[in-house]
Amino acid sequence: MIEARSITKRFGRTTAVDGISFCHERGAIALWGSNGAGKTTLIRCLLGILRCGGSARICGIDVRRRGRLARALVGYVPQELAFHDDARLGRAIAFFASLRRVSHEDAARALALVSLNGHETKRVRDLSGGMKQRLALAIAMLGDPPVIVLDEPTSNLDSEGRHEVVHTLRSLKQQGKTILFASHRPDEIISLADRVLVLERGRIVRDTTPIGLWPHERAVKTIRLHLVGTPEPEAARILLREGFAVHCNGSGLCVAVPRDRKASPISVLARHEIEVRDLEVLEEVDTSEASS
Amino acid sequence: MRRDLPIILLLAWLLAPSWAAGGPVQDLIDRARPGETVIVPAGHHREHLKIDKPITLDGHDAATIDGGGEGIVIEITAPDVTIRNLRITGSGSTVSGEPCAIRALAGPVVIEHNTIDDCLFGIDLRESPGAIVRDNTIIGKDLEEARRGDAIRLWWCHESTVERNRVRRARDLVFWYSEGLTIRENRVEDSRYGLHFMYSHHTVLSRNDLRRNAVGIYLMYSNDITLEHNTMIANRGASGYGIGLKDCDNIIVRDNAMLANRVGIYIDNSPSSVDATGLLEGNTIADNGTGILATPNTHDNVFTHNALIENEEQAAAHGRGTLHLNSFSRDGVGNFWSDYPAFDGDNDGIGDLPYEPRSLFHSLLSAEPNLRIFLHSPAQQAIEFTARVVPELRPEPVLVDPAPLVDPPAMPEGPRDGRRAPMLALGSALILVAGGLGGVLTHGQIRTPTYRRDAQ
Amino acid sequence: MLCVARREFVDAIAGKWFLLCSLTFALLALAISFVSLSTAGSHAFAGFSKTTAGLLNLVMLVVPLMALTSGSASIAAERERGTLLYLLAQPISRVELLLGKYLGLSGALICSICVGFAISAIVLAWHAGSAGAGSYALLVANTIVLALAMLSTAFLVSVLARRASIASGISIFLWLTLVFLSDLGLMAGTILFKLRVQEVFALAIVNPMQAFKMGVIHAMNDSLDVLGPVGAYATHTLGNALPLILAGVLVIWIALPLLLASLCFARRSTL
Repeated sequence: MIEARSITKRFGRTTAVDGISFCHERGAIALWGSNGAGKTTLIRCLLGILRCGGSARICGIDVRRRGRLARALVGYVPQELAFHDDARLGRAIAFFASLRRVSHEDAARALALVSLNGHETKRVRDLSGGMKQRLALAIAMLGDPPVIVLDEPTSNLDSEGRHEVVHTLRSLKQQGKTILFASHRPDEIISLADRVLVLERGRIVRDTTPIGLWPHERAVKTIRLHLVGTPEPEAARILLREGFAVHCNGSGLCVAVPRDRKASPISVLARHEIEVRDLEVLEEVDTSEASS
Repeated sequence: MRRDLPIILLLAWLLAPSWAAGGPVQDLIDRARPGETVIVPAGHHREHLKIDKPITLDGHDAATIDGGGEGIVIEITAPDVTIRNLRITGSGSTVSGEPCAIRALAGPVVIEHNTIDDCLFGIDLRESPGAIVRDNTIIGKDLEEARRGDAIRLWWCHESTVERNRVRRARDLVFWYSEGLTIRENRVEDSRYGLHFMYSHHTVLSRNDLRRNAVGIYLMYSNDITLEHNTMIANRGASGYGIGLKDCDNIIVRDNAMLANRVGIYIDNSPSSVDATGLLEGNTIADNGTGILATPNTHDNVFTHNALIENEEQAAAHGRGTLHLNSFSRDGVGNFWSDYPAFDGDNDGIGDLPYEPRSLFHSLLSAEPNLRIFLHSPAQQAIEFTARVVPELRPEPVLVDPAPLVDPPAMPEGPRDGRRAPMLALGSALILVAGGLGGVLTHGQIRTPTYRRDAQ
Repeated sequence: MLCVARREFVDAIAGKWFLLCSLTFALLALAISFVSLSTAGSHAFAGFSKTTAGLLNLVMLVVPLMALTSGSASIAAERERGTLLYLLAQPISRVELLLGKYLGLSGALICSICVGFAISAIVLAWHAGSAGAGSYALLVANTIVLALAMLSTAFLVSVLARRASIASGISIFLWLTLVFLSDLGLMAGTILFKLRVQEVFALAIVNPMQAFKMGVIHAMNDSLDVLGPVGAYATHTLGNALPLILAGVLVIWIALPLLLASLCFARRSTL
């Protein structure tokens, strides 16, 4: 379904994606890595939004040569949702429906699927974050594409919204869709992904499963550490070296830890004379359905 | 070489004796006694005629004399000859020898009601005083302007009358060394100089209509001439003057209309003699590129009661000069200027402030005529605006009218199209285009789609 | 492509700036018609009347401004808002997206031009009859071509500029340049270097504004001798080719920037 062959993308001197190759047939695949690891760039290259070296194929269709056709097979939810704010919800989805050559009935069905029907006359800028995300999901599902690509689909959502999105995606997966998503939340990955690609500085450093990444998946918690002084990327590197799954997003360091050893990263950091000011245990996504 | 040349030569040899002996019409002329009227039989006569006695040649509007594209068609060598109601065609077309339809070498003669076409020169009168040329229609050969001949030429023909002739596509109507002429109600179109005077004095030109020529009326070295009630429209050729005056003394230009010419009236060193004057009174000078254009040495012309309306440039002097040696009012009455911001506190019909045009762009134009290409562009407005803001940049006024008129005099009506329908149709068509485009491009987007029905 | 055009059209028409420009244009056209009718009666001997001269100046000021500002925002603003990314993830190629937007905006511009001229045409019909209806139609047609040329240029700016503010800055500067600076510069050059007529003509018609103006004047007078020695030179040496050359300049100004914009946009390695 999704096939990448030595995809390389440089922005000036920095190499954002450095010869990534992988092949994925069915089910959900997650991209895991800290900010700047190249997740977003890789996704954009896969969709042919950015010109890059190497080649990408979706359902066997070369993205660069026949980008239009390839993208018709992909529903995409971007990281930052940007709509024409003045537009009304109904107009927005109608526009995307016409872009994807999808009938009004299908648009209505997609809207109903995310239970946004009835809100057509609302202006997009007046929608809540969750509603916007659902709108994006509805747009991604227009025309029932076999592949759905999401770039941090839950980053702007509260726990309820996140739960809803994960739930929807899981049911899509059950319908047989191929899902590729980037995330920095272990719980999401555990509950959704069949396979995880760990990205670091534009390369795949591990190609594994959530269980391979976090052996005690049921016991995993995500904690957020707030440091004193030390730059977060440095601390993240130390923790990564110690085998923790780390994500740093500018407002604290998110670390996946076994449920009963929540303090372990703190002691690791202490050994490197990095002081932790505060610790937050992030609420849990229900992962009990992960295996179903 | 052409294959049929021998045949042509043979024909020429066969026909030549008949010319020498004269054709049927020439025979009639030869047999006529002085004072008789020769009726030219109806039909097409390929002949060249020579008239050497005072007779009248009348074609009754049914006869054509055709010179066959060679030489002079009718040559008159005796006085008191009248030629009327003929169609004359087919003179030679090389300039040498100046082939023409009618040439008179004696006078007086009367040439009236003839139609002349396909002739290099039309009516060429040499030393034929007292001639009358009227109601003729003359259409020149289809040649470029430089190779055409004059439609009517008078050479030493004092006291002659040229009236109600219609001329198209010729070179000039030209008058050499002829005095006391009456030139009226002629209409000249698409020619070079509509009416052209060379060293011809003491004449009145009135009610002539001159359109689309290089120059409407061009007077050169001719004195004491009055131009009255003439109309000059759209004379825009190489010179493009409605009226041009070169070295002429005591000219009166009164109640004429100069409209949409390149230059309304062009004055080149007129008057040229000391004590001579010029008077321009009651003329309507509208829609021209330049209303009044003069060489800087032009002096002692009086402009009064003229209306200068919407000329791109109302008045200018060549080479950055001014028109200050002329006066723009007489007895406290100036001219109407359409760009004069009228202010008349005492309500006497005379503006309270003098009219002083100071256009920086036009002053630049007189220094560098090539800049005229930028006419009608925002850059021109920018220059004028700058000059208004920075007074140091304002040029000297090209003229001062101390008593400008506040109300425009009556204007002649233009070629109006009083119908509203076409313009209204155009307006509606434009709205339809807009509406149609809007319809196509907003198709299905006017209403916000709702899906409630489907959701149930 | 058509759906992009449609959305662009609706967005443009609903936009405040565009509406303001259209209104200004319509009102000024109306005012010019009234003013020129009120002065000195109703003579119209010249094919090129005061009304057309006034409208010509108005068109050269307002229409390029409208086209340049609205066009320069098109791609750059979408890029800045992030909507461009979203659009490009849809089954549409970059060139299609660009052309769709161009189509939509040209539609909006043509609508606004037509409405403005239509209002003024109705006023003229009522007060001055139909003399010059042909010239008027020619003016409208030429104006539309000029608008398309300026829009095309604006799209090139929009594709190349990194931010929407930079794009609109550049477009305003371009407007100033094309409307004022280049002509003023050429005037200075003509005076300083004593340029010959053919040089002045060649340099002047490079500016689409001048090509437009000469095209309109030539269409109405069948010659450019109103424009002095340079115009007369052009009329006499180029003859029947002159209107074609002037139209050609405008067509190049439509095609070339749009082609460049498409190429740059399609080959761009970033968004």
